[in-house]
Amino acid sequence: MKIRRFEDLENVRKAGIKKLLPDKPRVAVGLATCGIAAGGQDVYEALEAALKKKGVNAFLTKTGCFGICSEEPLVNIVMPGKPLVILHKVQKEEVDLIVEKVAKGELPEEKVLCKIEEWDHLTLDKPLYYGRGYKNIPLWNEISYFKPQKKVVLRNAGIINPEDIEEYIAVGGYSAAYKALTEMSPDEIVEEVKKSGLRGRGGAGFPTGLKWEFTKKEDSNIKYVICNADEGDPGAYMNRNEMESDPHMIIEGMLIGAYAIGATEGYIYVRAEYPLAIERLKLAIKQAKEYGLLGKHIFGTGFSFDIRIVAGAGAFVCGEETALIASIEGKPGRPRPRPPFPAQKGLWGKPTNINNVETWCNIAPIIKKGGEWFSRIGVEKNTGTKVFSLVGKVKRTGLVEVPLGTPIREIVYTAGGGSATGKKVKAVQTGGPSGGCIPENLFDLPVDYDHLASAGSIMGSGGMVVMDEDTCMVDTARYFLGFTLDESCGKCVPCREGTKRMYDILEKITKGQGTEEDLLTLEELAETVKATSLCGLGQTAPNPVISTIRYFKDEYTKHIKDKVCPARVCRALIDYFIVPDKCRGCTICMKSCPVDAIDGGPGLIHIIDQTKCIACGTCMDVCPFDAVIKLSGEKIETPDKPIPIKKGR
Amino acid sequence: MKKTVRIKINGKIYEAKEEESVLSVCNRVGIDIPQLCYNEALAPYGACRLCLVEVVNGPGKKGITTSCTLRAVDGLEIVTDTEKIVKYRSILFELYLAQAPNSEEIREMAAKYGVTKTRFSKKVKPLDPLGNKCVLCGQCVRVCNEIMGTAAIGYIGRAFYTRINTPYLEKSDVCMGCGACVEVCPTGAIQMEDIQDKRVMKSWSGTEVKLKKCKSCGRYFAPEPIAEFAYTKLDPEIKEELKDLCPDCRRKLLSKREILISQGEVPMNGE
Amino acid sequence: MDEEKLEEIISKYDIESGKLLGILEDIQRVEGYLPKDSLIYVSKRLNVPLSRLYSLATFYSFFNLQPVGKHIITVCMGTACHVKGAPHILETIEGLLGISPGETTPDGKFMLTTSDRQFTVNTARCFGACSMAPVIRVDGKIYGYNTPKKVAEILKEYGWRGSK
Repeated sequence: MKIRRFEDLENVRKAGIKKLLPDKPRVAVGLATCGIAAGGQDVYEALEAALKKKGVNAFLTKTGCFGICSEEPLVNIVMPGKPLVILHKVQKEEVDLIVEKVAKGELPEEKVLCKIEEWDHLTLDKPLYYGRGYKNIPLWNEISYFKPQKKVVLRNAGIINPEDIEEYIAVGGYSAAYKALTEMSPDEIVEEVKKSGLRGRGGAGFPTGLKWEFTKKEDSNIKYVICNADEGDPGAYMNRNEMESDPHMIIEGMLIGAYAIGATEGYIYVRAEYPLAIERLKLAIKQAKEYGLLGKHIFGTGFSFDIRIVAGAGAFVCGEETALIASIEGKPGRPRPRPPFPAQKGLWGKPTNINNVETWCNIAPIIKKGGEWFSRIGVEKNTGTKVFSLVGKVKRTGLVEVPLGTPIREIVYTAGGGSATGKKVKAVQTGGPSGGCIPENLFDLPVDYDHLASAGSIMGSGGMVVMDEDTCMVDTARYFLGFTLDESCGKCVPCREGTKRMYDILEKITKGQGTEEDLLTLEELAETVKATSLCGLGQTAPNPVISTIRYFKDEYTKHIKDKVCPARVCRALIDYFIVPDKCRGCTICMKSCPVDAIDGGPGLIHIIDQTKCIACGTCMDVCPFDAVIKLSGEKIETPDKPIPIKKGR
Repeated sequence: MKKTVRIKINGKIYEAKEEESVLSVCNRVGIDIPQLCYNEALAPYGACRLCLVEVVNGPGKKGITTSCTLRAVDGLEIVTDTEKIVKYRSILFELYLAQAPNSEEIREMAAKYGVTKTRFSKKVKPLDPLGNKCVLCGQCVRVCNEIMGTAAIGYIGRAFYTRINTPYLEKSDVCMGCGACVEVCPTGAIQMEDIQDKRVMKSWSGTEVKLKKCKSCGRYFAPEPIAEFAYTKLDPEIKEELKDLCPDCRRKLLSKREILISQGEVPMNGE
Repeated sequence: MDEEKLEEIISKYDIESGKLLGILEDIQRVEGYLPKDSLIYVSKRLNVPLSRLYSLATFYSFFNLQPVGKHIITVCMGTACHVKGAPHILETIEGLLGISPGETTPDGKFMLTTSDRQFTVNTARCFGACSMAPVIRVDGKIYGYNTPKKVAEILKEYGWRGSK
């Protein structure tokens, strides 16, 4: 059925609400890629079977990811009139018990994480009300993980079924588009986006309203809008979740943007490594077309708009806008000099507006609630929220959406829970291979475009990797350069040749062969590559090097002068020793050593022959008594040959 | 008709056509800027990064940028050879020396700007079809694709491992033997040799293009595809008697005819 | 790939945007790689220079120009594995599968595929499973403590029917 008038939208909304708040239990399994990887699909199938077997009348469906990925699989349960309850770490073996409880109208209390009594979807006139109750269960934002969070982009993720447009419409979806296309002029829409202060969420942070205006100004009867879904930063998966959990919000954002700018065709360029995102987007586009929300004369207006998906083919550089355009045009992703900018000469030489997935996600609430509402979230010049992927050496990993200006400390310690192993947190890496490291003593810094840039990093697309004392910062820089040198398009000399040479120097340093001159050369190269590269990839590739030298110079010095790796990571610089007092002579390490470097026997203190040892760490992994230690630049006293172990303690 | 604008380079005012590439202006008025990938006939490419200048005033962004992609507009002020530019350029030349260790042209250019040695290990590939002289400026590819429309060669791979050659490193069956690639290559990396009746593109996987034989003197004088292509472009169509003649023989034939006409004798066909 | 199938793929793309990438991706999905004659066909059919298609195929990581087998065996050649006999394991696998050693792809990647396209063998630098050296990985699953005998058993698990 085609939606033409407001009443049509309302009717679908009412039908959709019946699915979100049915008169029987609603069970929704979190099935984004992370949920599936954790076993969510098995849980879904087990639930299906169990509900049938026990003859329980319930509405079983799927949903996206609520963001607390380390607790997956997640399962939502809504009993009519009661709060929505989220179960965590659900295993398929537990499903029978869960279904039994649900059949009795009860909850499996040990599996419950939190509850939601009402939820503001932002695009609905008032919050969706589930019900009050379950006094002992904390509200979702009473949990540490969610305390600092504010869900704007992830307003529907993990709650609605991403494969059902009616659930999207039920929470007010496409009502912002209706308002834009039937009540607002393109100028008014651009004004609203400008008022919001929204800045590009892909990393560069260019004011979105201004960017739209540039393309809108151009005089052309063919214009394009593009969604950059080539999320390539290793460790960043915000866009993936946004596409898999709520594909329609992207479509709605692009629909509004296209209308404001004057474009009739839109493209979503999704990296090939995200097959589920591509599938859900394709399905969403198909449904939108069926309901008349894409295609000709949308909402009965003269405006027509269509969206197609183009899949990437494994090139990080295609996240750069001119490379992305070249890729859609069927060429290798080699960036072009700017100016001319895509706003003037973009896809096929026509005015084109490209925005990141997350930027588009913010448009519907901005139009529905107004730019001024949005501008009150966050801080000055850095308005709104940002979704971060909190990963690495932290207790609770997952997606964290906070207002811009939130201090790093709150994200890493309050939401993330700090170190998972009791080791000291050393730094946080933001912005992926284009970003830099922020040391722990700067964790009071607010997370926003400007502060992170002044600290030598960038906010980037939202990747946030926590590092602790066991992370070698030189090795980290080497790792990132290894990534960039492989992904360089190869067009310009500083990036193509310079990143490789920087990598070679870093390798030398991690092998203990670096010199003072090498460090100077590295710095000169970094500055040159940053200043002279053609595109953002090359211009930001040296950032991990520059920022680690800035904040962790002592680690570099130790590698170079003392041939020591303080974090004990760089294999060429570490030595393994068996502590004589702890060895119990069990011979397990001797038998496991791949190079037969351990001398010993039953009941004898084992000794590692340093001339044969390749520092693979196997002995440390297998020793049941924690008798193996690794040191860098130090050694301990060991017997000349295996002698009997000390008996007794 | 593009209007004339005034831009300032190193404190002096110069006239330029609106939107003209600043590098083009510099080349025209004799201001020395190193360049490798720039060609008047092609759109600015921005690959070599040598033509750096600093924008100190003007309507657009200030700072260091490539002059090939910078467009002349009224009020634009640039400075060449600032301390930073000199510093960046030397590092770039060190990278060039390492990248194309066999190129005399690169050695000379680098030396001109003060760089005679490189700290970086030289990229030496044994049996490199481009003689370890290629700097991947892309002019050959662009000329072949955009101007000649042949597209016999292209980029292969990406990043540090990028090369230029024919698809599958096989002899090309579309190459016309025009030699435009050899002509534009700034480092003399492309090898082409006429051996008897064939033009051999040694660098392009040994591609062979037949040469046309002069029906008069028997010399091989032009690649057949080029000659045939040229014939199709003539209006009115070329006379049959002039086809397949090398330039010298053609000239002889036409001169002979002129002389005979001036002497009042009507020339027979073929004379 | 036969012409009919290629035409089917080409006809799915009615506009220029995303057409070439889409066609190559579809061919790769069906064939597991981009066969040369398929590229030649597409080149002639769409009037796109072969050099351009080859540029695309070699630029993007996703595309293989060599056929990949149904199962991919990766032999770890890291230090620990090396010392524990990885080269011998590699030789053994090559011998059992009847692959001639020493072939490399134009980009230097070492990859050999059996003629029945059941297996592709390649190498990697380190999986981080050094305690189980020598290590091989088949279709993502790691196997450690390998010996020539064990390797033969593993191959049988994946449908190798024995040699000679």
